[in-house]
Amino acid sequence: MAKVISLSIVLASLVLSFSAYAQTNDTSLANISQSDLEAGQGRYRVLCARCHGMLGEGGEGPSLKRARLIHAPNDEALFSVISNGIPGTGMPANWALGPSDLVQIAGYVKSLGQLEAEEIPGDAIRGRLVYETKGNCSACHIVSGIGRGVGPELTEVGMRRNIAYLRESVTNPSADQPRVSDRRKGTLNSFLTVRAVSEYGVYEGMRINEDEFSVQMRDIAGDIYSFEKSKLISYEKNFGHSLMPGYGVTLSEVEIDDLVSYLMNLKGEN
Amino acid sequence: MLRRVIYRHVNFCRISFCKIIVAASVSLLCVSSFADTSYEQLLADEQNGDDWLSYSGGYRSERFSPLAQISPANVADMKVMWAYQMQPTGISGAGLQESTPLVANGIMYLTESPSSVTALDARTGNLLWHWRPEISNEVLNIGFPRINRGVALLDESVYVATLDARLFALDAGTGAVRWETKVAENSVGFSLTLAPLALDGKIVVGVSGAEAGVRGYIDAYDSATGERLWRTFTVPEPGEPGSETWQGDAWQTGGGSTWLTGSFDAELNTLYWTTGNPAPDWNGDVRPGDNLFTCSVLALDPDTGEMRWYFQYTPHDTHDWDANQIPVLIDAEFEGEQRKMLALANRNAFYYLIDRESGEFLLGEPYSYQTWAEGIDDTGRPIVLPNSEPTREGNLVWPSLQGATNWFSPSYNPRTQQFFVPNRRMGAIFYKADAEYTPGAPFLGGGEQALDGDNATGAIVALDAMTGLQQWEFELLTPPWSGVMATAGGLVFASSNEGIFFALDARTGNPVWNFNSGAHIRTNPMGFAVDDKQRVAIIGGQTLFVFGVE
Repeated sequence: MAKVISLSIVLASLVLSFSAYAQTNDTSLANISQSDLEAGQGRYRVLCARCHGMLGEGGEGPSLKRARLIHAPNDEALFSVISNGIPGTGMPANWALGPSDLVQIAGYVKSLGQLEAEEIPGDAIRGRLVYETKGNCSACHIVSGIGRGVGPELTEVGMRRNIAYLRESVTNPSADQPRVSDRRKGTLNSFLTVRAVSEYGVYEGMRINEDEFSVQMRDIAGDIYSFEKSKLISYEKNFGHSLMPGYGVTLSEVEIDDLVSYLMNLKGEN
Repeated sequence: MLRRVIYRHVNFCRISFCKIIVAASVSLLCVSSFADTSYEQLLADEQNGDDWLSYSGGYRSERFSPLAQISPANVADMKVMWAYQMQPTGISGAGLQESTPLVANGIMYLTESPSSVTALDARTGNLLWHWRPEISNEVLNIGFPRINRGVALLDESVYVATLDARLFALDAGTGAVRWETKVAENSVGFSLTLAPLALDGKIVVGVSGAEAGVRGYIDAYDSATGERLWRTFTVPEPGEPGSETWQGDAWQTGGGSTWLTGSFDAELNTLYWTTGNPAPDWNGDVRPGDNLFTCSVLALDPDTGEMRWYFQYTPHDTHDWDANQIPVLIDAEFEGEQRKMLALANRNAFYYLIDRESGEFLLGEPYSYQTWAEGIDDTGRPIVLPNSEPTREGNLVWPSLQGATNWFSPSYNPRTQQFFVPNRRMGAIFYKADAEYTPGAPFLGGGEQALDGDNATGAIVALDAMTGLQQWEFELLTPPWSGVMATAGGLVFASSNEGIFFALDARTGNPVWNFNSGAHIRTNPMGFAVDDKQRVAIIGGQTLFVFGVE
């Protein structure tokens, strides 16, 4: 029955995952076998690599090559995160994992933390200066409460992205955009650029919410609009297009390294 | 014992269910409700727009309201008449609502997650009684949420199946327990989430649990005593017909659960019930063969449970495409011949017509994008495309495991022969893994990564029921998880994941009304009347809304 199941949808997911998790309570990751690790790597590549990278180096999702994961500081939390996801982030639930699947994947993820972390290039102090002056990033981003909330908040961005992803985000922001897991809708592009044309003008912004009959967007000035779709002349979703300008020309290579270094050091501390 | 609700100061009561009583101390009381539903009323449910006496609005499972007061001409004036806020249970994981309310003689009966029953005054929404069984927090529900889809009514009782696999008969007037019986063993993964089906003196239920490797069955119980009358397994044991489609001991954990309410033809005295996936779900290597009678519809003798015929939609399923969708009974002319048919829009993306007297396959047409079958052959067997199976590395296939549709109900308008289907348009990467059976634990053999979010959409689709060809579609932002109801007023009521309850013009699919419920809608609409005024009901989140035009 998958039903109903199959349901299931995310809640279902939570329920089954919890059941699966419960089955693993007696399993210690400390004694996981080599064959389980290899099996876990196979499952990881199917389920996790799209966001966390084939080698756990991160990407849209955080690097897993950390001795301590922020949402999974211990084995129990790791099981829970893999099973239940992290609401409000791009980390989805994985309801269809049996107990052995869960142990194998968790074991492999944990083993990634024993790998050497990547070296951060550039100078974070100089990078902060780039962020605040030449980049004028706070015109659209908030760090530790300072700035304007048009684009994604960056207070903890160093915990969630890796170096390559942030570099690409600075130089070519349209290449990828963050997603968020929604229990009702799945994993959505959370900063999707949309364009609405009404009899009053043309409006371009980032989608905040949408249903079959209406759409809400925030434009680059931070103003929020709500449109009835039936009253629009046209409505388009521009996948692969970001309202953020690319800084590949504006900033030098050194400045980009410095800026990325600064961003990688943003880990939630004030 | 006849229980009743007596309304004072009622301006108007319909003669069909009102009686005027003259008493010594009270003059002219209008008795507008009897907590009594006869089998004869159930037989006539489809023609009675005032009540909604069974899960699908009648034995034919049309989910069609014959009421026509609300139409495209006046639906813009439809407003909330009353709402009911469901009651928290404190049971972890409960709270998703998938119940279809029933209405009998002015009383509405609905279930609340995970297994509670509520009776409301259908005119005002005021609570009449609420019953909550003891359900352990440790109850197993492997592969599905802690939900319930509704009750059955017969005589003076309300019947509810519980998450921990029991069946209760409650007094319809008070909610007091008349009897209870254990249907299955929850500790190995059996559970009950469906609305039971009431026949003449019998209550029929099915089980969930294929994700735990149960062997499914359908049960009938004496409506008066709770005594079990028969049990029909959906996976045969060695030596029984169909056992040649299994090897070794795989049948013992073969799945084939029966978790959605069936349909009934009184004239043919035949019960139609659908079955779910074989177990384990995604690793078919451990269960070679067609795996009868999984992913099928069964025609059963309601008196004995004996199987008269079967039709298997998806032989040797490896994508979790249960056939647990609503079988709709249609009498119409098909290719020049008057037929008694059974229509089903399957999770596997094909729409089927079966002759329900013989089980003969008549039609199989895709109604949604799919990548697993070239088509359906003349016998009804899918022509499976190569490389459509789950693999260790993952294999992208449409539809996803949740299917092109799922348990939520379609609707059939017998006057226009339109079949309305909520359609999920989403693919998934299916992968295969080892599967080891442990009682009471997931037995899956793989999984999926759905292409969800902005990669997936949905639609409400209108099909010509006799050809399966699409007449129109209304696109949805995301794949829906809620059913539809057509009405004689020319409307189709449907819902979206975004929480919008809306009405479409049945002729064109154009939207003519909508309402934001403020929460995910994951159940079916239904309709009834109070004081001769048409009502439409839907649950959004934890709130039941009842709409009308005044």
